[in-house]
Amino acid sequence: MSTVEKITQLSHRIFNTSVNEQNTSRTSNPFAASNFQKNILTEDVFEPSKAKEAKNVSFTGNLSASSKRIYSTFVGSLSDLGNKFYEGIESIVAFGKSVRDGIVNTWNKIQEIGNKEISLEGAKNILNKEVSFEGAKNMLSMDITSLFAKPKEREIAKMAKMDPHSEVKPMLSEALSALEADMVAAA
Amino acid sequence: MENKFNIKNNKNFNKVSNIIESLTINPNPDSVAVLEEIGTNSSIDEVRELTSRALVKRNEHGSLSVVISNRGKGINDMSTVVAMSTINELLSLENKEEAMKVLESTISSDSFDDEVKENARSVKALMALS
Repeated sequence: MSTVEKITQLSHRIFNTSVNEQNTSRTSNPFAASNFQKNILTEDVFEPSKAKEAKNVSFTGNLSASSKRIYSTFVGSLSDLGNKFYEGIESIVAFGKSVRDGIVNTWNKIQEIGNKEISLEGAKNILNKEVSFEGAKNMLSMDITSLFAKPKEREIAKMAKMDPHSEVKPMLSEALSALEADMVAAA
Repeated sequence: MENKFNIKNNKNFNKVSNIIESLTINPNPDSVAVLEEIGTNSSIDEVRELTSRALVKRNEHGSLSVVISNRGKGINDMSTVVAMSTINELLSLENKEEAMKVLESTISSDSFDDEVKENARSVKALMALS
């Protein structure tokens, strides 16, 4: 029997339970493959003997003992998964509790500091003293380009405000003399 | 092997250039006198070129008179590079009104040399065309 046929039969079996019941014989011996006196059952062996003989399609009929063992292991692992899931939830709850405790502690600390050292009124007073509204207004009305101007432009702008005769002229004479000296040295 | 001195990369030249540039934008009219006295009389062509251009950029009657009407300065400089650079700056002016007035007064005045007048006439013709 091909794999495709097996899968088709299995799906048929799963989705048509009434058919399954019909095939399960109530007169079959449920202990056919078991021996309770000597062996310990590790898997589901309650299957109709008739089904075995007739090779009828059965949910468990075509499954080998090893397959059954694997499935039972799988079911067992599912129950383990449930435990792990529960443990995971437990750890999440514990984490949430610790976060909540942390927040509460921080809030308490802030309140403690606020009451003892820094009050809102104090901060307001400091701000009023240090940064006046006029100062902030002046800062905002400043030419934004001056904040990003290059050193060269800043220097030029600074010199442009100097007195040409008393301040700039000596600087220009000095720079020219130094340039001439450089040229002589290079020659 | 020739060791050529590159003035444009010189620290002191950059300093001179910055000072001249600051005098270009300095609102104090005394800036023109400083530029004329120090810059246009420099022995270094590059400095005279920078100074002449700065005087043109100021676009004032006094600063334009220095580069148009004075013998050996601005458009009348012995260095072709300085003279051509000054003419180029005059042609680049957005508002040429003041420059045209100075040129006309130089051409019509009897107090200037023929050479100066001739140069002024040529520049005026160029400016009329531009």
